[in-house]
Amino acid sequence: MELADRAVGLLLTLISLSIFTYFTFWVIIVPFVDSDHFVHQYFLPLEYAIIIPVFAGVALLSLLSLFVGSVMLKSRKKNKKA
Amino acid sequence: MKHIFKIISLLAAISAFWVGLLQASIIPRTHTWLLPIYLVVSLGCYGLLMVGVGLMQFPTCPQEAVLLQQDIAEAKGFLKDKGVDVGSD
Repeated sequence: MELADRAVGLLLTLISLSIFTYFTFWVIIVPFVDSDHFVHQYFLPLEYAIIIPVFAGVALLSLLSLFVGSVMLKSRKKNKKA
Repeated sequence: MKHIFKIISLLAAISAFWVGLLQASIIPRTHTWLLPIYLVVSLGCYGLLMVGVGLMQFPTCPQEAVLLQQDIAEAKGFLKDKGVDVGSD
């Protein structure tokens, strides 16, 4: 149904826009703000801005390779049976 | 091949700009080290945004769907007459 598709599309755009704005604020704007401004309590320390994307990237790559490996194993098993 | 050369030259230009920023030390060092990670994350976000926008604007063509179902039924009947096993019915 096209309504479900449009809802998923809207959700994806909202998620991507929010991640982009939060990350932009985190990396570019917050370091230039004075340390006793109230904004700093909404953002984690700056080291996490490196750890979280790297961790997410590593998790994504490993999930992808797991998926590809499992598909290759399944196709080889099917070839051996037939 | 030309496309690969374009992409590689773009990557080389960006990394040269980044190394230049590192050497010139206009911006504090920690921010310059963060810049590639920021670019990669924003590229991923841009891809996700394009997927979401494309999903929202995808046309469904309901009349074409009905015509397609008629074509499928016609083809199934024709093949069954000729003796080919068509599968689920």
